[in-house]
Amino acid sequence: MVKNELKSIKILAQKEIEKAKNLKELNRVFKKYLGKKGKLSLILGSLKELPLEERKKIGKKANELKNVLEGKFDKKIQEIRKQAKKGIGKKEWVDVTIPGKKIALGHLHPLTLIKREVCQIFQQMGFEVVEGPEIETEWYNFDALNIPKDHPARDEWDTLWLRQNKLLLRTHTSPVQIRYMEKHKPPLRIIALGKVFRHEATDASHEMQFYQVEGLMVGKEISVANFKAVIQEFFGKFFKKPIKVRLSPDYFSFTEPSFDISITCVVCGGKGCSVCKRTGWLEMMGAGTVHPSVFKNSGLDPKNWQGFAFGMGLDRLAMMKYKINDIRLFHSGDLRFLKQF
Amino acid sequence: MLFSYNWLQDYVKGKLPKPEKLAELLTIHTFEAEEVKKKGTDWVLDINVRPNRASDCFSHLGIAREIAVITNSKFQIPSSKPKEDKELKVKDFVNIEIRDKNTCPRYTARVFTDVKVGPSPKYIQERLEACGVRPINNIVDIANYVMLETGQPLHAFDLQKLKDKKIVVRFAKKGEKIVTLDNQKFNLDKEILVIADSKDPVGIAGIKGGKLPEIDKKTKIVVLEGANFERKTIRRGSKSLKLRTDASWRFEHGISADLTEFAINRAAFLIQKGASAKVAKGLIDFYPLKVGPRRIRLVLDYVERLLGVKISKREILRILKSLEFKILKDETEHLIVEVPSFRLDVSLPEDLIEEIGRITDFNKIPAIFPKASLIPPKRNENIFWEEKVGDILKTAGFTEVYNYSFIGEGTPDKFSFDKENLLELENPLSRKYKYLRPSLFPNLLKNVRENFKFFDELKIFELGKVYRKSNVKSKELSVEEKRMLTGIIARKEKKEDGLSEIKGITDLLLEKLGLADIWYDIFEPTPEEKGDFWHPKKCGEIKVGEKEIGFFGETRDFEIKGQVLAFEFDFEKLQKLACEEQEFKPVSPYPAAVRDLAVLVPREVKVAEVLNKVNEAGGDLVQDVDLFDLYEGEEIPGGKKNLAFHIVYQAEDRTLKSEEIEKIHQKIIETLEKNPDWEVRK
Repeated sequence: MVKNELKSIKILAQKEIEKAKNLKELNRVFKKYLGKKGKLSLILGSLKELPLEERKKIGKKANELKNVLEGKFDKKIQEIRKQAKKGIGKKEWVDVTIPGKKIALGHLHPLTLIKREVCQIFQQMGFEVVEGPEIETEWYNFDALNIPKDHPARDEWDTLWLRQNKLLLRTHTSPVQIRYMEKHKPPLRIIALGKVFRHEATDASHEMQFYQVEGLMVGKEISVANFKAVIQEFFGKFFKKPIKVRLSPDYFSFTEPSFDISITCVVCGGKGCSVCKRTGWLEMMGAGTVHPSVFKNSGLDPKNWQGFAFGMGLDRLAMMKYKINDIRLFHSGDLRFLKQF
Repeated sequence: MLFSYNWLQDYVKGKLPKPEKLAELLTIHTFEAEEVKKKGTDWVLDINVRPNRASDCFSHLGIAREIAVITNSKFQIPSSKPKEDKELKVKDFVNIEIRDKNTCPRYTARVFTDVKVGPSPKYIQERLEACGVRPINNIVDIANYVMLETGQPLHAFDLQKLKDKKIVVRFAKKGEKIVTLDNQKFNLDKEILVIADSKDPVGIAGIKGGKLPEIDKKTKIVVLEGANFERKTIRRGSKSLKLRTDASWRFEHGISADLTEFAINRAAFLIQKGASAKVAKGLIDFYPLKVGPRRIRLVLDYVERLLGVKISKREILRILKSLEFKILKDETEHLIVEVPSFRLDVSLPEDLIEEIGRITDFNKIPAIFPKASLIPPKRNENIFWEEKVGDILKTAGFTEVYNYSFIGEGTPDKFSFDKENLLELENPLSRKYKYLRPSLFPNLLKNVRENFKFFDELKIFELGKVYRKSNVKSKELSVEEKRMLTGIIARKEKKEDGLSEIKGITDLLLEKLGLADIWYDIFEPTPEEKGDFWHPKKCGEIKVGEKEIGFFGETRDFEIKGQVLAFEFDFEKLQKLACEEQEFKPVSPYPAAVRDLAVLVPREVKVAEVLNKVNEAGGDLVQDVDLFDLYEGEEIPGGKKNLAFHIVYQAEDRTLKSEEIEKIHQKIIETLEKNPDWEVRK
């Protein structure tokens, strides 16, 4: 009896599984045979009423059938899912190449982005960011920096003067060095970022108004070797690749010794290209160890303190980083330019 | 400055490195050699001699001395011993008078007779041309040649053209004039030092020779001058005459007075050979105050401390000696060093350390991180808030612009700036940049005009300084620079709700900056108002307490087609009031109920007044009041407007019953209707 029942379950169940068109139907079939009250489950449940001999025999068969049917169900599920996916394909196809809807976000100026990045790197190394006025006196812009009046060294800076009180627009951020040291005792490490001005005709690489970052670190034993480590770290972080730094002798009134700082060309990696004029090097900044007169003029005793200072153009950094070929774009207000950042 | 490779070779024993290699070595150790160009059998190096080394390196000898040290070769000085003619005595030919030993610390001269003026030897001509100097004749060429060789400017006079055979160094008298060798006329004054004969100026001292005693084909007797003039005098003269020459440039940078003698003797040696001239015996030499050599005490430990690398004492001594520094004392801990006279740039231990460092090669110094305390840097409040504001406006769709800090000549009138308070430039680059900007508006409006060529709508802002004269007496500089924040929404098509859009931006900004107690007041131009930008009616003041911190509204007509909306904040004030603190307000788990309310009020009643009444009457259970419609039109009785609000009721501790809500709503209505002109529409 039971044997026959198992046989018919086998045939019917397999047929019904085969016929099922979707998961819902299949589920119904599953419940009918293998659910808690399914036909096969009931048989398995009633086994204990049979004599031992038969219980073993039928039990084995019934369990085998259960396994077989379970396998068939799994297979059918896969089949149905596959089929279903194929169906969706045709009906609900979308063109993923349609451009996305424009979200109207604003943009920060590229120099703002560069300023933030420069600040961040130096702040990580413990440098405090300080500021100073854009309108300066001759004393802070020149004399205190060891650039006396009637000295040709002043010719290095074409200055914009105000009609008022012999004031001028600062030609570099270096006055901040003096202003800060007047008020703070070393050890100290600062950077100053800001606008500077030159009486200079503008072209693709010259501006009358641009931005500089000035750095100053003073302590008992701050050396050229220290400067090298700090600045190499900065450039590496900024350009996100290892950068070699080259120091060549140079002259600035407010540092002694003074250097011109070049870095391995970030375009060609030092092999030589049009950007670095085939030299493999890019001139990036002026630097040196603080001149004793600068300490004196800031009210510090040069016998007690030593350190390094550097200055570089933020515009140039931005131009290198974003491959901008005309410095005048920064002050153009042209949204076709600004919206790219 | 241009240098001839072959010429440099003359002074260095052993073969020079190839030109490119030489340029590289110079760049590493001395100056940047910017360019190497082949010229015939020679190469020309363009070397960027820095101004501090004018005293020795504006010369082939100076550069050759550097090369010898860098390449570890021997430096050889050319011959400078002319054969003097014992029959001819220099004193019999010319009489020299120096009026002021401060402006002319040294004056040396030699006299040549039987001079045959003609072309100079070929090698001299070639070398001059390599350095960009045009050959003229043997006398002038040799004077120029020796200048490029030694760095000492020399000048030759035809003695027979000097009145009374006299040379006087003096300041010019008022009204005196001179014609220079290149036929330029100059009016002289008391500030300008001249070389004169017994009567007239015959040369501008240290700057340019005069036409009068020019060497020509008939010249037989030549006086050659090798003088030293004070820097400032030459600089001032050159500036006031607007005349810069190779000579003036050298003098204003400073040359050692010791140099004249060697240079003039060297020239005499060459003139004797090149113009078959006789050299009169003796050297005229006015040199009353010989300057002694400078001495520097160099602590050896300091060399290591400043460079950050140990350089052996032996190496330090070798470098200094090869650069012709004399070691007067050699102690274990320090040296006493005497500076050669041609190194006017060296006077401090740091200067010597630079010499040691650059000859060693700064690139051999290792990179070592400084030892410093781990204290995190103090936050810069200005930058913090600038960044915050930038981020908020960027999120709100604004693009940041940077403009020049200048405005043009016509701008003050256009914007009614008080010119009295503007800062004017002494030497503006052009009329477009005559004043420092007292407001960000003019340049931002320019941005709008330019960008309207490509965009129909734009949102821009600038955060930057404006400048004006200061009335505050205590101010150090008598000028004021402060940061302003100005934003603009401009579009070609006018939009009805423009004003509330720009106000939405200021609301957002102020909320994000944590400003409390903001209110908007009717715009009232004050007498000292800084410019006129706003539409007289469609504009408001933004206030905190009694303090005005900014404005918003529509700009007045600046001939821009479309609508220009703007906000402007005094950023210094804004920053002071800004606050980072923020507190979480629990979200009520109980449902909110919304009731609408429409009220008819006279047109001139401010929405804020109505809102205040609603909030006052509603109390804590009114969670939000939202104006969703404002209508003034045909269906509304004359002179009135209809305001419609959603009022949101919600309690934090219970679900409000509808009777409770009704009661409050009724109270609000009653409160509003206490005003006989207000009518709640039912």
